[in-house]
Amino acid sequence: MTELSTARPDRMISVREVFGIDTDLRVPAFSEGEDHVPEVDSAYRFNPDVTLALLAGFSRDRRVMVQGLHGTGKSTHIEQVAARLNWPCVRVNLDGHISRLDLVGKDAVVLRDGQQVTEFQEGIVPWALQRPVALIFDEYDAGRPDVMFVIQRILERDGKLTLMDQNRVISPHPCFRLFATANTVGLGNLSGLYHGAQRLNHAQIDRWNIVAALNYLPRNEEIAIVQARVPQFADAAGRALIDSMVAVAELTRKGFAAGDLSTLMSPRTVITWAENVEIFRDPALAFRLSFVNKCDEAERAIVAEYFQRCFDRELEESHQLATHQE
Amino acid sequence: MSVPQAAATRHQQKVDELCAASIRALSGDADLHFRGRRLFRGRRALALFAPHLHPSPQRDDFGSFRGAADGMALRLLLSDAELHRHLGPADPLARALFDMLEQFRVEALAPAGMPGMVHNLQHRHEQWSLAFHHSGVTETASGILLYTTAQICRARVTAQPVVEATDGVIEATRMALAPVLGHALAGLRRQRTDQAAYAQHALTIAHTVAGMIHAASETGDDQTDECGEDDDGRRFFSHWTDFEGNDDDHRVAAASIGDSRVLEEADDGYRVFTTAYDQEVRAATLVRSALLREYRERLDRRIAGQGVNIARLARELKAVLAVATRIDWDGAQEEGCIDGRMLAQLIASPTERRLFRIERQEPMADCVLSFLIDCSGSMKQHIESVAMLVDVFVRALEQAGVASEVLGFTTSAWNGGRALRDWQRTGRTEHPGRLNETCHMVFKDADTPWRRSRPDIAALLKSDLFREGIDGEAVDWACARLESRGEGRRLLVVLSDGSPMDSATHLANDAHYLDHHLREVVERREREGVVEIYGVGVGLDLSPYYRRSQTIDISGALGNEVFHEIVAMFARR
Repeated sequence: MTELSTARPDRMISVREVFGIDTDLRVPAFSEGEDHVPEVDSAYRFNPDVTLALLAGFSRDRRVMVQGLHGTGKSTHIEQVAARLNWPCVRVNLDGHISRLDLVGKDAVVLRDGQQVTEFQEGIVPWALQRPVALIFDEYDAGRPDVMFVIQRILERDGKLTLMDQNRVISPHPCFRLFATANTVGLGNLSGLYHGAQRLNHAQIDRWNIVAALNYLPRNEEIAIVQARVPQFADAAGRALIDSMVAVAELTRKGFAAGDLSTLMSPRTVITWAENVEIFRDPALAFRLSFVNKCDEAERAIVAEYFQRCFDRELEESHQLATHQE
Repeated sequence: MSVPQAAATRHQQKVDELCAASIRALSGDADLHFRGRRLFRGRRALALFAPHLHPSPQRDDFGSFRGAADGMALRLLLSDAELHRHLGPADPLARALFDMLEQFRVEALAPAGMPGMVHNLQHRHEQWSLAFHHSGVTETASGILLYTTAQICRARVTAQPVVEATDGVIEATRMALAPVLGHALAGLRRQRTDQAAYAQHALTIAHTVAGMIHAASETGDDQTDECGEDDDGRRFFSHWTDFEGNDDDHRVAAASIGDSRVLEEADDGYRVFTTAYDQEVRAATLVRSALLREYRERLDRRIAGQGVNIARLARELKAVLAVATRIDWDGAQEEGCIDGRMLAQLIASPTERRLFRIERQEPMADCVLSFLIDCSGSMKQHIESVAMLVDVFVRALEQAGVASEVLGFTTSAWNGGRALRDWQRTGRTEHPGRLNETCHMVFKDADTPWRRSRPDIAALLKSDLFREGIDGEAVDWACARLESRGEGRRLLVVLSDGSPMDSATHLANDAHYLDHHLREVVERREREGVVEIYGVGVGLDLSPYYRRSQTIDISGALGNEVFHEIVAMFARR
């Protein structure tokens, strides 16, 4: 690890070449990869605004939070930027069970020369802080308040971390970076979709220099992503099918916004659906297995209406069929 | 109301719900809904757009309703209403044509990724065309002109063929129209993505065709004589489409409403001639106790025979009405808030980390629900089912921890009673306002548990209490009762099978005096936002009165379905 802690970005790369964004910006990168660098996913499509925000985070040491509905690929986006910069990257999921001690470190009993001794074991935060690592806090808004105050200190750019029981002050490595992803902007579970999301302390939100919103992509982008993920549908016929699938997904999102549905289709669900179409050879059956069965029974007739609009076929849950059978 | 008719009403409401949900999703506008078969945004009714967007529940299938819904959604999404209004011609007939052409334009722009929508629109167009044709209107000169215009314009804009069945019928007119409209017709499809440019061509067509029809009616070679004097082109149009005429009214089971001139023009709003004879009574005091016992036994037998799953209903209600509330603490946790009582243990054994406690939350219903039952004469036939429904609900609500009230309203007399006599004696002043003795009955109040109010609820079966219904004042009264309660969420469920009815009031004022007032009261109470008001229509669509309403069918045996529908209505908020 000594090698990692001394490593620095040693070359500049062009954003235009690597990310396909029309700008003259150049950002620092590592020439050599390392174990913590994520794999490059060549099919990944970058959202230009979010990419620029993240690159500002990497090159100018800004704290960047990415906010958006589930399944929009927030964490993956950060990882893929890191992968192209060869920047080591560690993800921590701030679920309700991560405690302060898990992050900072705690005394643990270990065996040394057959003797039981207590020894301080560093948590993930001090470890990452001393290395050129991009630390990503996933589900930032699900973290418990006491945990958040540990993070608050290191959110400031040259914020030093004090380990109280160790009498140690840790200065951050100049290439340490901090990111977070969240479903809400710290306002708590307003829509009822994200149980367990907390209201965040405003002092917390204030310390994030950049908040980028990653919402559902434009239709064509989403189609392209699904096609990239499920190569079987890469041809023109496949595109028409996926066009209709994405249209259904968009209707569920608007239906959710209107309060008609309590579930919505994320891009991830669309990909799953496409994969299931490959297995079952029937869009309607695959749709029922990948999405309809997740819906409240009372809402399935509405979903069937959406499906009819986009596929010109009836789903078994359709009101049309139900009345015919009577 | 017969059994199949009630089922048809229920089916139609389901279709409306689904169509409204589709329109909301397609247009991305969450505030749209149907009230009395008309599309509303919030409280405002939207324009009618085009004649073929109004299918009839009797004639048309579900596919037609889907097509109409898609058409409305596209219109909202792709057409600038302000621009449309600005460009529209003054002549009513030309305006109706112009409206229709704009609708064809947006239908031609249905997205390619939605073949089902294209299909629905085409289906609806065909159904409308055939109905129009079979009504015989196309046999008149102006009828065939309108019809042909609609056919060829839509075919041009959408690049779909004209309706095959009538291809031969329109042939001659089409040949005659083609040279006159040729240029404008060609422009329609080319400019379909540009509303303003398209409108120029549409205006040419609308003016030309309207001119031809006016000329035809003036020269008298047309059989219909109305179009010349009809001041509203839309009515002219709907006359052509709604050819089955006025007998629709008693077949469409939606509450009929209208505006009251008297109420609108009155300075002090709704008036009550006298409150001297109004009464509020505990219903059980109006019935002999032996009779009450008999009624209760009858009700119990009926409920036992229904097989309603009360425990499940209570769970459903709880899921909908309850909110998470902190009720206690879970101690001895590894994380959470420090539990002061455990500090001594920390000193005794420092390795012990289970010093914390966390909040335990459970769903609790901070809620009161009031049933207000219309006890007007027509409800007599339903009352046994209604009483059962309410009784089961009260029991389930109690299990779910929700307080409930059962209230009823009727009048103490038929045809005005003493109030009317007083009015006649004082010289029949103009527009006296409500002219009857209201009788508000309490079957169960919120503080009495179900077990103790069992006989009182049975008083519902005493059918000679049922006279006339003055809904507006009753809703006001029930809301006021709820407002005096301390619960956080207050719901009022009005069960009714018709519009407010009191013959004395209607005669002395005008026909819609009471239902206008009901709408005013509901609107005002909804605006205040203290009480959520729900209308449950017994075989009747109450949506003209209540923004949140549900039609139920209780003519047969009551299954769990009816209960589920009402609970689902609460969930929709």
